[in-house]
Amino acid sequence: MTSPTDTTLAPPDAAAESSSPEDAQSPSGPAQPFGLGSSPLRTDALPKALGIYPFAADLWAEGLLWGAVLRSPHPHARIVAIDTAAALAIPGVHAVVTAADLPAGPQSADGSAEEARGPVGDRPVLAAGVVRHHGEPVAAVAADHPDTARLAAASIVVEYEVLDALTDPEQAFHAPPLHPDGNLFRHLPLRSGDPEVVGEVIVEGLYQVGRQDPAPIGAEAGLAVPRPDGGVELHLSSTDPHGDRERTAACLGLEPDRVRLVVTGVPGATADREDLSFQVTLALLALRTGRPVKMTLTREESFQSHATRHPALLRYRHHADAQGKLLKVEAQILLDGGAYADVSAEALAAATAFSVGPYVCPNVFVDAWAVRTNNPPAGRMRGEGALQTCFAYESQLDQLAARIGVEPLEIRRRNVLATGDAMPTGQAVTCPAPVAALLDAVATSPLPALPMDEPDTDWLLPGGPGGAGDPSAVRRGIGYAVGMVHMLGAEGEDEVSTATVRVSGDHATVICAAVDSGQGFATLARQIVQSVLGVAEVYVAPVDSDQSIAGPSARGRHTWVSGGAVERAALMVRHQLLQPIAANFGMSVELLSIADGKITSYDGVLGMPVTEALEGKELWATAQCRPHPTEPLDEAGQGDAFVSIAFCAMRAVVDVDIELGAVRVVDVTVAQDVGRALNPGQIEDRIEAGVAQGVGLALLEDLRTSGGLLVNPSLTGYRLPTALDTPDVRIAALLEERDVVATFGAKAVSAVPAVVAPAAIAAAVRAATGLPVGRLPIQPEDAVVA
Amino acid sequence: MLPTSLDEAVEALAASPAAVPVAGGTDLMEAVNAGRLRPAALIGLGRITELRGWRYEDGGTAVLGAGLTLARMDRPDFAALIPALADAARTAGPPQTRNVGTLGGNIATAAPAGDTLPVLAALEASVTLARPGVTREVPVSHLLTGLDPMRPGELLTWVRVPLLNAPQVFLKATGRSGPSRATASVALVLDPARRAVRCAVGAVAPVPLRPLEAEAWVAGCIDWDARGEEGVPAIDPAAAAAFGEYVASACVPDGYGGDAASGLPAEGPTAEALRLRRTVAVLARRALGRALK
Repeated sequence: MTSPTDTTLAPPDAAAESSSPEDAQSPSGPAQPFGLGSSPLRTDALPKALGIYPFAADLWAEGLLWGAVLRSPHPHARIVAIDTAAALAIPGVHAVVTAADLPAGPQSADGSAEEARGPVGDRPVLAAGVVRHHGEPVAAVAADHPDTARLAAASIVVEYEVLDALTDPEQAFHAPPLHPDGNLFRHLPLRSGDPEVVGEVIVEGLYQVGRQDPAPIGAEAGLAVPRPDGGVELHLSSTDPHGDRERTAACLGLEPDRVRLVVTGVPGATADREDLSFQVTLALLALRTGRPVKMTLTREESFQSHATRHPALLRYRHHADAQGKLLKVEAQILLDGGAYADVSAEALAAATAFSVGPYVCPNVFVDAWAVRTNNPPAGRMRGEGALQTCFAYESQLDQLAARIGVEPLEIRRRNVLATGDAMPTGQAVTCPAPVAALLDAVATSPLPALPMDEPDTDWLLPGGPGGAGDPSAVRRGIGYAVGMVHMLGAEGEDEVSTATVRVSGDHATVICAAVDSGQGFATLARQIVQSVLGVAEVYVAPVDSDQSIAGPSARGRHTWVSGGAVERAALMVRHQLLQPIAANFGMSVELLSIADGKITSYDGVLGMPVTEALEGKELWATAQCRPHPTEPLDEAGQGDAFVSIAFCAMRAVVDVDIELGAVRVVDVTVAQDVGRALNPGQIEDRIEAGVAQGVGLALLEDLRTSGGLLVNPSLTGYRLPTALDTPDVRIAALLEERDVVATFGAKAVSAVPAVVAPAAIAAAVRAATGLPVGRLPIQPEDAVVA
Repeated sequence: MLPTSLDEAVEALAASPAAVPVAGGTDLMEAVNAGRLRPAALIGLGRITELRGWRYEDGGTAVLGAGLTLARMDRPDFAALIPALADAARTAGPPQTRNVGTLGGNIATAAPAGDTLPVLAALEASVTLARPGVTREVPVSHLLTGLDPMRPGELLTWVRVPLLNAPQVFLKATGRSGPSRATASVALVLDPARRAVRCAVGAVAPVPLRPLEAEAWVAGCIDWDARGEEGVPAIDPAAAAAFGEYVASACVPDGYGGDAASGLPAEGPTAEALRLRRTVAVLARRALGRALK
């Protein structure tokens, strides 16, 4: 390696240090938890808490330039002309790039005769001819100072011909196409059973879900370094290094192996991180100037550029018999995909397939659409698609319970799905589906104390400490919700991950390109190797795209796919390790076990410490894991589209000031189907995180637009939950019913709490106020009892 | 520039009137960082210790330094003195903001949702504006409404607040439990010596609004002698509710939130006006109830 960056870049080295076993073990000493089922501390927890963990924004390279992007002030406009002369004339400006500087090809979305776009999709890196959403990148600048770069970007003159913005997704069907690909990303009909069935009880509802932003605390940042071979090295907090490499290379017209992606510390990713425009622009500026280029987005730009959750409009009609048993569900689901396709088609599949929720219903008729508008693009975000429908079907069940006069819990018990039942897509639920047990667990969990049983000073009223809350106007409500989310890629997507395990002396190394985006994969990989090989010191290597492919950190796939690959590689190493010993002992490898750092024979007579067996050896193995294939949903929405499904039940307790409409979530009790708890401590963290995000969507977070323009792209205007807004989260049960086909029998845990929490909170507000509560986030006026 | 005394600061500002004085910087620096503001120079007021405290003056007045931080105002000694101002300071933001944000900064920024502003309006506070050798006294409300604006080169130094030794309340409606900008706020102070109620509504208009007629009306409804006695309501609950409605309709116009540009005569109050009125009415009613408890 001749690249100068190896010595000049701090973060990869520092990240390596921070995840080294010495660091991790020094605070807790020899009592460090070990292996699967224990809860070791994340190796990056301490540096992050101390503020010394290097994120992408801390990157530095000798002689770097600063990038800045000019963004569209209009949601929809034709670019008549771009004049970059004034920007180039500013001293210190090294390059100005526009769409014209990118090789013609997939990203020129303006042409009429389009070739297959390959990995890039329908989104241009820099707007070519047309801007389709507020904040779309139009041009970029590299300069020797960040202020110069911003000044130069601002002095690029773009002449726009402003076009009418299509902001109402319902108008998208009839409006003139915004893009050569048309305005419809996908229409997915689901037809199952007899359309003529009519229930004795019919409830209808219209539900709205707002635009939640992932609002990562670390805004987008990255560094591009040109390589001597004409390629480029990108240092980014990517969650999909290989995918990002392919896409960047395709956009730049380079061979994929000329682009190297080094993953830096990821500052929180509940969605995709850096978008394509960001990294390609960065790479282009570096290639153009021949110098390293760093770019950090401002908070406003961050809100403008990354994908949000799909706003949704859902119309439901549930038919049931007099006892509340579901007979038929009819639904129309409309997802606003924003300006570009992104993963809208995938989100729509989840929304459609889970439109009834974890309930059995023989007749289901759904039409779902994802459409293009001039609103901010929507994309991947924990439980995309599944969350929106969870709010709708759970609201419908509450309504049904009220109509036939039974408890909300009871109506759910009468309809719950169990292992072996068929989903409306025709797929049988072969994984464990302990929905009834989850409901029981939350229902029997003790309720939080009533305020009257606590001293006045401990009672936090809705509106917060020192707020306007008045005890006489506060009503308490309890709501229940269950929900489901699929794991891994759906509809025939090839899921695969590769991992290498190396053991040398008394420590092991895991090389796997699965990014720890906060979900804890690095900790899990360590635990797996500890369990399989009995080696205490396991080092998880930093990720770059030169490693074998592991796929994106999304859809809860790494525990299964990459965890499986790590386990297989570790088992192969184990075999190599044990084979000579077994031969020596005169028995087969299967009769030896590794526990507590010792290799022991089945009868306990023969044994030796692992460290002794390893002495002087260096063992390597690489393995892949590929779960069973799935198939696309057909034109009637039928097909075995999902690998596995995770379930969760929640009980939310809220206090509502019914005069002011202020809501405080007091307590959320969770029971979750986890398959097997590989790291209980981390699972609890993930559930708390999911609940916090759910509270945000239920009560606070809404990235508003007016005529396609973002109204509140700041952390002042976009309200994230604070410690005062987030409730006590209690885990009633982590149900461990192993999924036999999954790695270790474990299910992904992060997405499903975020999916269920908003529905549970809405149900609780409904119980407190008696109002229908048909939209998220719940506005104060939705909770005022007149 | 980092003057260490008030005189130095006043001189510095007079010498370069284009400079912008900065205290806590919680609003100003955000604007600078976002590129909305490019001040020619900044005069840091953080080292002027004399402005960070308060003193008493004859005639029952407290003179508060403009550099008094929101966090300091929340302490018990200050809260016993001017409770409503302490309440407003406590809810003004997260601790990071309150630790550096100042009273003078709140007034100078004059944000519509500035939490201390309705309290100062209700208290009928005044501010001292200083230039080299000259100071003048301006009521806070005159300053905020632009009736008597700050002149170039003037520095806001002191805030005079009458001490009423009576209950006073600040209530703020927000959409959340955590610190947040007010959707509406009400400050209400009792002046038992004059048997008066003074009330100001914040965040519904660019400046705090005083519903003077409602104040005068409700003062007549209060049984001033029964105030503070156990078991005797100082005001009929219906009158308190009516006061809330009165304040709300006085402060929130029919056309609130409507499309002013359309120029069409509004047909009755807009939905947004009704919502805001309900919130203000509840706040005013509760504030009165707490003050008279």
